[in-house]
Amino acid sequence: MKRRIGIFLMVCLQLLLLTGCWSKKELNDLALVSAVGLDLNKQGKYVGTFQFVNPGNVTGSFQGGGGGQGNAVSVYSATGDNIDEISRRMATKVSRNLYYAHANLVVISDKLAKKKGVLPILDAFDRDATFRNTATVVIAHDAKAADLIKTLTAIDKLPANKVIKLLRFSERVWGASLNIMMIDVIKDLTDDGKQPLISGFNLKGSSSTGEKVSNIMQSTPQAAPVVDGLALFKHGKLVGWIDGKKARGAVWTLNKIKKTEININKKGRKEAIALEVIRQNTSISTSVKNRTAQLNVRVETEGNIGETKVPVNLKDPHVIADLEKGFEKQVKSEIKAAIKEAQAKKTDIFGFGDAVHRSQPETWKRISKNWDEDYFAKANVKVKVDVFVRRTGLRNNSFLSGAK
Amino acid sequence: MEKAKITAYQLFALVLLFELGSALLVALGIEAKQDAWIVILLGMIGGLLIFFVCYRLYCFYPDCLPTEYLQKIMGKGLGKSASFLYMLYFVYLAARVLRDFGAMLLTFAYIETPLFIANTLMILVIVYSVSKGIEVLARTGELFLVFIYFLAGSGVLLVLFSGVVDLHNLQPVLENGWKPIIKSTVKETIYFPFGELIVFTMIIPYLRDSKKVRNVSIIGIIVSGISLMLVMVFNISILGVKLTERSQFPLLTTIQTIQVADFLERLDVYFMIALIVGGFFKVALFIYAAVIGTANIFTVTPPSRLCYPIGLVVLLLSMTMASNFPEHLKEGISIVPFLLHLPFQIIFPVLLLGMAYLKNRKHKKQGTG
Repeated sequence: MKRRIGIFLMVCLQLLLLTGCWSKKELNDLALVSAVGLDLNKQGKYVGTFQFVNPGNVTGSFQGGGGGQGNAVSVYSATGDNIDEISRRMATKVSRNLYYAHANLVVISDKLAKKKGVLPILDAFDRDATFRNTATVVIAHDAKAADLIKTLTAIDKLPANKVIKLLRFSERVWGASLNIMMIDVIKDLTDDGKQPLISGFNLKGSSSTGEKVSNIMQSTPQAAPVVDGLALFKHGKLVGWIDGKKARGAVWTLNKIKKTEININKKGRKEAIALEVIRQNTSISTSVKNRTAQLNVRVETEGNIGETKVPVNLKDPHVIADLEKGFEKQVKSEIKAAIKEAQAKKTDIFGFGDAVHRSQPETWKRISKNWDEDYFAKANVKVKVDVFVRRTGLRNNSFLSGAK
Repeated sequence: MEKAKITAYQLFALVLLFELGSALLVALGIEAKQDAWIVILLGMIGGLLIFFVCYRLYCFYPDCLPTEYLQKIMGKGLGKSASFLYMLYFVYLAARVLRDFGAMLLTFAYIETPLFIANTLMILVIVYSVSKGIEVLARTGELFLVFIYFLAGSGVLLVLFSGVVDLHNLQPVLENGWKPIIKSTVKETIYFPFGELIVFTMIIPYLRDSKKVRNVSIIGIIVSGISLMLVMVFNISILGVKLTERSQFPLLTTIQTIQVADFLERLDVYFMIALIVGGFFKVALFIYAAVIGTANIFTVTPPSRLCYPIGLVVLLLSMTMASNFPEHLKEGISIVPFLLHLPFQIIFPVLLLGMAYLKNRKHKKQGTG
């Protein structure tokens, strides 16, 4: 009998261990943060704007019934001297535990990035165990981070997802933007030989219309986030923007172009022939001699003819070779323009310094301190591009050759 | 000594799991920056040398536990006290590893749980399996080894598919020459994790086929050395030197960068499982060695009676050894290697080997003469 009671007590004791809910957090006590926006207010304090998912409204709309009436997200903001404080202060407005594991977008306003830089704000994200370091970082270009966070989007119900997908897709197809993760930014910030380059986002339309559901009820939303340029950083502070072809040149130098298309002029028509780039490989190297640096960029790319506006004889390999030369010149000019812009801002966003570190470690030790100012900014640039036109699509010559 | 036998493969599994245990947790040899992998390989060679010293001792007395042959070599009183010091050393190391894992769990997953609870739960499982004897532990190791290497294999594939590996981060090789590499080897990797294999002197007498001891252990050390080297190569090539340096648990950060096909992400659990399994074996083997050795010194039968008391000592020691995690790490880096590892792993075994050699030569002369 005693033995039985003993066993019974043991079993009861084990129950205490089996519950597994020391610090349990029920799903309906969690506020899923999907995006974080950071601004600077007039007093110089940080304003954090957090986008929370309304789970019911997101799923409801996908299944085409029930729910889906309200917004997919709710946005709250709080002010504080650091990120941790903002996150805690949010408790006065949000009735649930903030849960960061699904936050995959951080928007930083250009004002904040210019004035205070990103150095003081990233440590909290780097250190926190639930925040993922693969979250995308973007800079709000000529907009408040809060406005970008607030704007509701169509198709992708979650605005954070919209921004990330947009970025990924435009990086893959057009190539003038970069999907930069938190971990990359931090890596570049601590790297002597490379400075961060972060994509910018602008808000088309006004934020007051963007935060209403009516915005996404229209076929043309009045307010929507659009990819806008690349932000150049130096010592953690925003120093300038590049966009358009220059931005693509920068992405090209970083060997991040996946697909894009290049136009050249022909027979007096501007942008007459288009090349669809299907793959490319870019490598950079640097050599330092007698206090001057030589930056080398080597590009190899393949593509197909995508469009012609003037009649050219695409059956003739000589003509193709001629076109290749034209494309090479175009790519070269974009890359050179991008490097020139970075040199003007004295910030090595491409990692040419890292290349020195790898190839001439002894020299690098001597020059790493003033690499950006004394070497990178004054360096000679040599770009070598090889373009290979492989195919011409379903037609050989354009119908324009025979048109009357 | 228990009446138990383990197979060669089981010994191999134990060596490997023991080595990976807490070495996966930290940035091994990061003092040498991007050359950490060389430091690990050199440490492995050092570990092999230490193993050979222990192996020669084992060859002199193949059927005895070190606690017994210490008495034979040094005389009863001195041998017993020396063995007892070794047992204290093992208990201390067990407590260190336990603290490592408790701190890891609390930093990363169970932020609000008290350290005591995490450590208690872990030590309960460990002590239970230790009390079942070496055979049970060895069979468990046999099972888990396959599991760990499945995890490692799939982890490597996922990392490669994520396209985040940049081998440029490993360049330039030998940026500051050999000096920092040798320094880091002598300061760290030779003792931790490789020199800690000294605990296996308590395990190898159980091997069924004593001829295989040498080859199995060597293969175990080499495979674990190469595995650790690869882990560090991945860490540095994915995170870069600076982030690896700043990370408490670099492997965790590396695994967090996995992003495949938009849904294979946040595989932190990979890290957790691998580390818990490794930590379990490391602590268990230290405690087992301490239990069996103490029982041998003080002739306690059956030895398993000592499991729970020693487990309790390890638990309390793991709680009180440092008041915060940085203190714990600092002790591990700057005090333990010279004060504990160097004498217990190198100086003492080498002296012993010398004494054993002289003694046995004398015996032989007497025998033949």
